[in-house]
Amino acid sequence: MDSLVVANVKQRPTRTAVSIIGVALGVVLVMMFAGLVNGMQNDRKTRESSVGADLMFYRDFSLTTTSLTLPTQYVPKLQEVPGVGLVSPVGQYLKETKTGIGFEILEGIDFPTYSQMSGIHIQQGQPLTEDLDVIVDEVYARQKKVTVGSTVDIFSRKFRIAGIFSPPSGSRIKIKLSSLQQILSSPDRCTMIYLKCAKGESTATVAARINQALPDNKLMPLEDLKQLYEKGIPAFNTFLKVVIGLAVIVSLLVILLAMYTTIMERTREIGILKSMGASKGFIVRVIEQEALLICISGVLLGYAAAFMLKIGIMRFTSLQVELEPRWMLYAALIGIGSGLLGALYPAVRAANQDAVKALSYE
Amino acid sequence: MKTIVQALNVAMTYRVGKIDVPALRGVNLEIQEGEFVSIMGQSGSGKSTLLHILGGLLKPTSGNVVIDGEDLASVTDAQRTDIRRRKIGIVFQRFNLFPTLTAEGNIKLAEYIRHSGSVRDHAEEEKRRRHILKLLKLEDRLHHKPIELSGGEQQRVALARAIINHPAILLADEPTGNLDSENSQIVLDMLTRLNTELGQTVIMITHNAEAAEVGQRLIRMKDGKVLDSRVLRHNFETTEEIVSARK
Repeated sequence: MDSLVVANVKQRPTRTAVSIIGVALGVVLVMMFAGLVNGMQNDRKTRESSVGADLMFYRDFSLTTTSLTLPTQYVPKLQEVPGVGLVSPVGQYLKETKTGIGFEILEGIDFPTYSQMSGIHIQQGQPLTEDLDVIVDEVYARQKKVTVGSTVDIFSRKFRIAGIFSPPSGSRIKIKLSSLQQILSSPDRCTMIYLKCAKGESTATVAARINQALPDNKLMPLEDLKQLYEKGIPAFNTFLKVVIGLAVIVSLLVILLAMYTTIMERTREIGILKSMGASKGFIVRVIEQEALLICISGVLLGYAAAFMLKIGIMRFTSLQVELEPRWMLYAALIGIGSGLLGALYPAVRAANQDAVKALSYE
Repeated sequence: MKTIVQALNVAMTYRVGKIDVPALRGVNLEIQEGEFVSIMGQSGSGKSTLLHILGGLLKPTSGNVVIDGEDLASVTDAQRTDIRRRKIGIVFQRFNLFPTLTAEGNIKLAEYIRHSGSVRDHAEEEKRRRHILKLLKLEDRLHHKPIELSGGEQQRVALARAIINHPAILLADEPTGNLDSENSQIVLDMLTRLNTELGQTVIMITHNAEAAEVGQRLIRMKDGKVLDSRVLRHNFETTEEIVSARK
């Protein structure tokens, strides 16, 4: 039967190729969306975690709505709380990239406290001194092919790259907090205040003291930051379900149409199989195996396309893509499962054909 | 001699719109194991319907059809399919080979279908396949697809496929209808060989009087009934005697 299945699939190369591409499309859709979200979240989580802080004090913060809402007057108040070591205010602004594909976060920092907390140091050039100075990390410098002295357009202003810092921490591009406040017309405001506990102090104890001293604000251990990012895109899970649904529909329809057309064309062959004593189950199996072969090929093509897209996206944009094995498995299950489901109706229809009518089909 | 096919008062009526069109009107016949029977008749005489019923492809409106002890009329569709798989081989006027498979692929597919779900004796299958291919002179055509074979060769492959599983009966529906006279002769010779050398029971439908002559017995049909049945030759004749007599 294997040779019959393979021969049937090879009989109509164009249709088979289109079906394979259809399944691959669904696989790519699921893998790339999940990969992009995971990549961006994990990249930010990794970099935010490397800020070196134990706690983040904030009022209104999410992945998509960063703005300066927290008064910096909390900085001295937080410094007064027992157990607090270092305090560093940070402003974040989510801006579109120069290419228009994706977003990047611009941070406004107080360099002395931030560098002390995170341990970043300037590899080349100098720290932020002037209002139109910007520092970038090595990844940014490499991706954007910029060096110390290059200019970067931020809010239609020419910022000069004063230095390149290492290791990556927080956003890849940072300006002075005062500059960001001025640009956004939010004087004395920041997005969050990072806190490092004094040596020997427990994070939970310090957090409890801050909550008591400064209620009505939010405090989060940086360990929990990933969850915050997931909360930052509340529609993520819903949107992912929509993407999965689309992938299922695409694969299902492609296979259904391909197999239905195939069955119509091969009506006579179905009749021959029946005349040879093939049972309904046998005929369903033949058609389902053809669909399986197409779906597996589609999944493999989808994997290859997703990996190539990942390379392209990461090379030419600032987006991060992480193709997790878990999502690769889900994409394969979606591609194969929906394909087999799509082939079921044509298969059952073929199996139920009248043998004599099928044999006389022209 | 064992009765391998028994049709008792078989009737078949097709419903065309609101009109009932009778195709068979009480056919009775008995065919013995190892017989070669030709069934002849004009178009519309009901011979193709009878073949489809004998092959388990159609269920008669009434009557009984017993093939090697199993009544096709009183079983379910699935059981009829099972009987067809085990006991019936069919060849058609249009050969009906799978165009995507080679000659060997077509034959092996029949073996696969026959043995699906059961234990296979590959050595025995191989032995029988070789014997049949030699008998039908197909050894050197195995790896060719139908499009690369002549009409006569295609019909011989169809014959090999039909008998590869040692069916109780071989049904041939106008097997020479699409062939020129030379290839028709070859196919008729092959049918004769299968009958005399393998003891294969053959039931051949034809409207060609010359082709019908190769059978041991000729059944004539008219208006959905058996008109008469007469013996043409005795089954103790050898293939060579029969073939040379025809020439």
